[in-house]
Amino acid sequence: MRFGVAQSFGIGLVAFLWGLPLAASLAAFAATALDFAAWNSLLHHPQLPEALPLSLWTGTAGLAAALAAALLVTMGFYGTAHWQKLQTSTAVGLSIPHLAFAIGFGFLVMPSGFLARLFVGGSEPPQWVTAQDPLGLALIACLALKETPFLIAMIWSVLAQGDVGPALAGHWRSARSLGHGAGSVWLRVLLPQIVARLRWPIAIVWVYGVTVVDMALVIGPTQPPTLAVIVWADLNNAAEDINARGSAGAMLMTLALAAAAALAWLAVSLAGKKMRRFMTGGPSSFGVPKTSTTLLTAAMIAIYSLVLFTLSGMSLAGYWPYPRLVPDTVRFAAWQGLIANGGPVVLSLMLALTSSALALGLVVLWLEAVPARWDRALTISAVASLTLPAIAMASGQYRFFLELHLTGTQLGLFLAHFIPVFAYVFIVLKGPFRTFDPRFQAVAHGLNAGALRFWVSVKAPLLKAAIAIAAAVGFSVSMVQFVPAQLIAAGRFSTLPMEAVTLASGGSRSLTAAYALALAVLPMFAFLLAQMLGHSRWRLAWN
Amino acid sequence: MGISRRLFLALAAASPLSAHSWAADWAAIEAEARGQTVYFNAWAGSETINAYIAWAGQQVAQRFGITLRHVKIADTAEVVRRVRDEVKAGKLEGSVDLVWINGENFRAMKADRLLFGPFTETLPNYRYVDTDGKPTTLFDFAEGVEGLESPWGMAQLTFFGDGAKIAAPPGSMVEFADFAKANPGRVTYPAPPDFHGTTFLKQVLVETVADPTILSVAVGKDQFMAVAQPMLALLDRLHPYLWREGRQFPQSQAQTKQMLADGELLVALTFNPNEPANLVASGELPSSTIAWQHRNGTIGNTHFVAIPINARARAAAQVVANFLLSPEAQARKADLRVWGDPTVLAISKLAPGDAKLFAASAVQGGVSLPALAIPEPHASFVPLIEAAWLDRYGA
Repeated sequence: MRFGVAQSFGIGLVAFLWGLPLAASLAAFAATALDFAAWNSLLHHPQLPEALPLSLWTGTAGLAAALAAALLVTMGFYGTAHWQKLQTSTAVGLSIPHLAFAIGFGFLVMPSGFLARLFVGGSEPPQWVTAQDPLGLALIACLALKETPFLIAMIWSVLAQGDVGPALAGHWRSARSLGHGAGSVWLRVLLPQIVARLRWPIAIVWVYGVTVVDMALVIGPTQPPTLAVIVWADLNNAAEDINARGSAGAMLMTLALAAAAALAWLAVSLAGKKMRRFMTGGPSSFGVPKTSTTLLTAAMIAIYSLVLFTLSGMSLAGYWPYPRLVPDTVRFAAWQGLIANGGPVVLSLMLALTSSALALGLVVLWLEAVPARWDRALTISAVASLTLPAIAMASGQYRFFLELHLTGTQLGLFLAHFIPVFAYVFIVLKGPFRTFDPRFQAVAHGLNAGALRFWVSVKAPLLKAAIAIAAAVGFSVSMVQFVPAQLIAAGRFSTLPMEAVTLASGGSRSLTAAYALALAVLPMFAFLLAQMLGHSRWRLAWN
Repeated sequence: MGISRRLFLALAAASPLSAHSWAADWAAIEAEARGQTVYFNAWAGSETINAYIAWAGQQVAQRFGITLRHVKIADTAEVVRRVRDEVKAGKLEGSVDLVWINGENFRAMKADRLLFGPFTETLPNYRYVDTDGKPTTLFDFAEGVEGLESPWGMAQLTFFGDGAKIAAPPGSMVEFADFAKANPGRVTYPAPPDFHGTTFLKQVLVETVADPTILSVAVGKDQFMAVAQPMLALLDRLHPYLWREGRQFPQSQAQTKQMLADGELLVALTFNPNEPANLVASGELPSSTIAWQHRNGTIGNTHFVAIPINARARAAAQVVANFLLSPEAQARKADLRVWGDPTVLAISKLAPGDAKLFAASAVQGGVSLPALAIPEPHASFVPLIEAAWLDRYGA
């Protein structure tokens, strides 16, 4: 299945199911964003000069910290008995929705929060600036903590791959024989190979951090807020000219991201030349800082446990004033409402299962049948679709679906979930598939095994970790879709996130916490299952 | 799509005429409404309000054979954009039959001719509306209602806090500034353009302006800056004593409410005078909670229900709007144990039996001395207030 039917089929299906609706929304977006008056009004926005750098700073710092933490944890634990166990914590961390994490983390660090109650006390909370600080440090901490599990899971999926794990184990032994310390092997040999495979997942973490709205609203700076918050407020307005300013703002944010990405690429290639001496130098006895990595991991698990603990407490809390450690009144209303209304849960589950299954099938078809040179267009579209605010594209998509009579239908609702799911699944799977060692196929060919037999018996088992984690990522992305699913559903269907977001608009912390926990349960099972299925059968010689 | 935009607009333009011919026979509307499904798009951020809408759904099903579906939304502007997109696409059979609306969302829909009507004067229960005593039922943020939306409830800027911590609640903006000075870092307001934040600024404007008559007519930028000087002077005096010294602001009213409950703030604000009492009843605030309005009145307005021009179930939507105006539904809505949303009706216009339904009972957390509701300044003030604030305090 190299060329011909399968290839045209793959390109055609992706173009029809994914590219077409996306192109329609992008076209409508571009039409509103290319408006002179809107740009004029945007460029005169008094908060813009600070808000744009603030967005780039918080998103970039959050990514840098998350990446450093994920790589340190990997260095400290890969090859030990704890590595696989750690993935259970990763699954729990991954499944907590971003907004819920921000609320829970906020309640830990804010002046009237849990830590202040525990360690400061007194009748009135201290006047700390620990959340919504002007530099966005709380937002950065939140982003870093929330993205670390995602990056660890991505690293896990690479290392658990049947073709990569044994190869890296070989590199490890060679470098050790040359006299390199463990830390030196990681820095010079293993991490560069892992990071190269994770380029696009790292890129979407960055894009997510720069453009995030829900976390920034809860814990980010306010005067000025990040640009994403300003854009979001403009796009939410009822007036069309303000919407247009929001579209222009979204376009500016995308251009800024592209410019920053180009700069980063330039910096990396320049630094690469300088780094060459260091990278090829040695041997060096530099070891892995075991104590620090253990402390870092323990601290992150402790923070996540506290966040989950406070979220559970909040979901049951009525009046819970400073400095009490437990609520004054307990109310079950939030959970009762959730349990009494099971329809949205079932609908969300069905949508997540079907959209992630179709996305997985189509992505694998693409990666198998379509030559790699076509990837660039798809990758750029996928990243663009995740960069632009969902609400900026929702209107174009809604009008496209209206023309096709798809609004208020199950098929329309399904497609609204499928479009972002496909983008994520593609980004997660592209690296593992495109870097798959071609010599396996050469061997299979030499042994006279057909393409299908090779795929089923050799390639799929070797790549099963990546496939399983991609399916789980797709599932969890589907579980949190709100805009534009809410528009397409047109009130005819209600999913769990629709219930959660609309109820949370009243600001009740107990309702928000209860729904956030409910939203976390199903993705958590998906990630745990993925790790069980993807766990490699090989016991690798390590150390 | 078979229908061209021109044909659609022609049909849309014709609809008020057909509304008048229907008006002749309300019974015919009720007959047509039977069996229809009304998709009621309404903000769903409150459990008590959602429960009330569910009750209304049961009632209209029993009495009129109408299925009422509450489409839960987080922000009404979303509905405005949806209807606008549908109309642009020439879709005659829209997804929204009834929408809970007021203020700038109404202004946007009216300006873009996205509303069905006028229809309110044909509603049998409309005659009970207190249009004299509650002029905001006719002017929504100074925008003429013109029968395009049916009054549903009243709102008025109200402050609340813990009576155990506040000896004398401030009765004016000047006293609010003094209160802030005495309790530095413990009061604030949401950053505009949050609706409540903007209302707080309007309240400052109303209390400081030299000549209030200027507020009811359109204003230009230069004239506004002259009028707004006392407002900005008071804010300059207030801000150093606010939470985070006025350099950062909460993003929403919900956040100030939560900060009050946590003990970070002493005062929160709301547009529903009965929200504090609801929060006491649900156990989210202590029973010592008090609510108050400023001595000389606070900004008040009315919220409405409207029917989009491309609604499918126009007849049933009118029947629902009429039911929501009925003394029974209004009395239940005003009941603090249910929702506590003040009625738009004039009790004096009701039959004695109906009037008795509204007998108020004092509750913990209710406003002790209700003050005058001051109409919103003209809509042209809003962007100017927000821009002036952003320029001076935004960055």
